Amino acid sequence: MADALDGGERFAGAWATSTGGWRIALTRGSDARVLACQPADRRLDTVVDMVGAAVWDEREAHDLYGLEFTGHEPMRALIKHPAQPEAWLTPVTGPGVHQVAVGPIHAGVIESGHFRFHCVGDRILALDTRLFYKHRGLERAAEGLGPDQALAYAARACAACAVANSVAYAHAVEDALGLEPSMQLRRQRTVLVELERAYNHLNDIGAVCAGVGYAAGSMAFSALKDRAQELCSQAFGHRFMFGTVAVGSGALTLDAGAADALRQRLRELRADAGAAWRDLQFAASLQARLEGVGVLEHDRAIQFGVVGPAARASGVLGDVRTASPRLAYEGFTPAIAPRGSGDVASRLQMRAVELETTWEMLDELLAAPLVAAYTSQRERASSLGIGRVESSRGETVCMVELDAGLITRLHLRTASYANWPAVAAASAGNLLPDFPLINKSFELCYACADR
Amino acid sequence: MNALLATVLQLVGVALAPLLPGTIQTLKARLQGRRGPSPLQPYRTLRRLWSKSSVAPDGAGVIYRMAPPLVAACALVAIAIVPLAGFSYDLGVGHDVLALIGVLALGRFALAVSAWDTGNGFSLMGAARDVMLAVFAEALLALTFLVAALPAHSTDLGRMISAAAGVHPWQQIAHWCGAAAFILVVLVETGRQPIDNPDTHLELTMIHEGPLLEYAGRDLALLQWSAQARHWLVLLLGAELFLPHPLAFPGALGALALGIVAQCFGLAVIETAQAKMRTLRAPALLGLGCLVALAGVGTFVTGVA
Repeated sequence: MADALDGGERFAGAWATSTGGWRIALTRGSDARVLACQPADRRLDTVVDMVGAAVWDEREAHDLYGLEFTGHEPMRALIKHPAQPEAWLTPVTGPGVHQVAVGPIHAGVIESGHFRFHCVGDRILALDTRLFYKHRGLERAAEGLGPDQALAYAARACAACAVANSVAYAHAVEDALGLEPSMQLRRQRTVLVELERAYNHLNDIGAVCAGVGYAAGSMAFSALKDRAQELCSQAFGHRFMFGTVAVGSGALTLDAGAADALRQRLRELRADAGAAWRDLQFAASLQARLEGVGVLEHDRAIQFGVVGPAARASGVLGDVRTASPRLAYEGFTPAIAPRGSGDVASRLQMRAVELETTWEMLDELLAAPLVAAYTSQRERASSLGIGRVESSRGETVCMVELDAGLITRLHLRTASYANWPAVAAASAGNLLPDFPLINKSFELCYACADR
Repeated sequence: MNALLATVLQLVGVALAPLLPGTIQTLKARLQGRRGPSPLQPYRTLRRLWSKSSVAPDGAGVIYRMAPPLVAACALVAIAIVPLAGFSYDLGVGHDVLALIGVLALGRFALAVSAWDTGNGFSLMGAARDVMLAVFAEALLALTFLVAALPAHSTDLGRMISAAAGVHPWQQIAHWCGAAAFILVVLVETGRQPIDNPDTHLELTMIHEGPLLEYAGRDLALLQWSAQARHWLVLLLGAELFLPHPLAFPGALGALALGIVAQCFGLAVIETAQAKMRTLRAPALLGLGCLVALAGVGTFVTGVA
C-alpha cells in the first residue's frame, strides 16, 4: 500500500465483501486497480495512518461486515447508531464546552442527518456528523441480480446525482464485461453528465445565497436551476433524467432539430446565469459573508481525500474528466481555482467557473444529433469492474463484482461520501450561525452517502 | 367620549398589526419575482394557531406558561402608550417614552427567560443572541428617542410628536441624525435583515425566532401577534417622529398611513437586497447607529445648525 502511494497512485475507495474479503481501489490517471485480500478471522491492519480518506470506508466495513482493523483507534460507529455517546462522539472537554444537537429532523425540506457540535459560546470546536438514517441496504439488495436489474439500485441511490451514479455503474459493468463504448455512446452520456452538473451547480450557487438569507440571489438561481431541469425534462423526459442510462447501450436520440433547439435554450440559460452571477459580485452584503469562512486548507483537503470542486477550491488539482476514456472529454483541462484559499468564497467561485466549461462542452456536444449507440467487445470479460465519473460534487466510483453474469457485490462510493468528513473539518473554529453556510458551500447529498 | 375614541384607536393598532408583516412579505415576494402569500396571511395563521391546543415541553414551569401573556400584555400597553395621529388620551399608562422603552425591555426579558425555562438549545441560543443585541439595541433606542425628545423639552410622546410635525424640524441636523438612527431601530426591533432573518428555517442562525420554537397553539399565536405589534409600534413611531407629517388630525392620519406603507416598502427592499450580516458584526452596526444619534444630540445641545 505504502509503495503504491509512493508510486503516485491515489486511494479511490475500499470495501468489504460478504465473504469477509477486503478490497482497496487505487487509481493513476485513467488506470484503476484493486488490491484484494482475504483476512483470516476478519482482522487486518488499518491503512488510515497512510490514507486519511479511508477512515469512513473502514468504519463502514466494521459496522456492516464485521471487519476489525488493527491500529484504527478508536473505531467509532458510522452506520450503526449506538445509544452511548462515547461510542461515536469525539471526546471534547474543558471549561464552558457544551454540545448543541441539530437534527436528524430539520425545520426545512432537508434530508435526515444529525449534527453534534462541541462549542464554547457560539464558536465551534468540533463537529460530529451522524448520517445513514436512510441507509437502505441498496448494495446488498442488488446482489444476485443481473447487471440490467441492478442498475436501478445505483440509479436511485440519489436523485440529484442519478446520472453520475448510473454512468459510473454502467462503466463498471462494461469494464468487467470487457465492453467498450462507441463514440456516440460516450457523447450521449457526457451530455447527460454535464446537464446534471449544470443544474446542480446552479442549485448550489443559489443554496449559498439562501444560507446567508440573500433572497435575490437565491430566487434567481432557483429559477435558473428550474429552467435547466425543465430543459432536461423536455429533451430526455425526466427532470432528474431518470431512465436515460443503460448498461451496454444508449437509447437516447435527439434529432438535429431537437439538439439545436436544446443548444439554443442552453445558450440563453448560459447568458442569464452569467448575468445573475455578475449581480452576485455586486451584492456587497453577500460577499462580506463568504471570505475566510469555512476554510479547508490545501493539506487537509489532501489528507481527507476531498474530491471535486471542494478540492479544487482548496488548490488540489484533480478531476476525473482529465482521464475519462469512457466519456467524451478529449482535450479537457480542469478549471483552475482562481483563489485556492478553500473558503466558502472559493468553493462558490469554483462552481461558477466550472459552469462556464460545462456550457461550452454542452454547446460542442450538441452540435450534432444524438443517435442510439452501443458498445463493442474489446477484451475478455473479468469478474471485477470499476467505473469512475466526475459528478457535480466530485469523483464518484462504482465497483461491481460479477459471477456467472450476476452481481455478487456492488459498491458505490460517491463524491458526497468522500467529502462529508471535510465538512466537519472545515467547520471547526467557525461560528455556529455560519455552519449552514459552510454546509451549503459543500452542498453534499445525504442519500448518496446513505445508500 | 375621548376615552371611547382612544380605546377604538388602540384597537385599530391591535387589529392592524398583523397586516404590516403580511404586507412586507407580499412586497418581498413581488420584488423577488414570486407571487407570494396574501397580505392577510398572518391573520389566517393566527386563526389557525388560536384553534390549536398548546403543548408544553417536559419540565417547563410557570415562567414558560406566563411568558406569552406577559409579552402580549407588554405589547398591548406599549400600543396604549403611543398616541395615534396626534390623538393623545391617557388610558392610565401615560405617554412617556421611557415607559415605552421599559415595557419593550420587559417583553424581551420575559421571552428570554422563557427560553431558559424550556432548556431548548435553539431557544437558548436565540435568546442569548437577542440579549446580546439588546445591550446595543436599547442604547440605540434610548438615544434615538432622546434626539426626538430634546426639541420637545419633554419625554412625553404627545409633545414629541407635535415637535416633530411640520417643516421646521427638518432644518435641524439633529432630526436627520435621529431619522437615520431610527432606520436601525426599525430593523432591530422588527427582527429583519441584515440583523436577523425572519424567513429562515435554519435554527442555528435564529435570533428572534429561536425562543418561539418551543411554543405552539394559542401561546404561539400570542407571541406572533406580539412580534407583529412590535412592527406596528416602531413603524408608527417612525412615521410620527421621523417622517414629515402635519399636526392637524385628518392630515396627520393620512400622513401616518402613507408613512407606514412607505416604511413597509423600505423594509421589503432592504430584506430583498441585503444578506444577513455576520452575527458578531451586528453590534458594530448598532454602535454606529448610537454614534449617529449621539452626534444628533451633540449638534442640538451645542446649538450647531
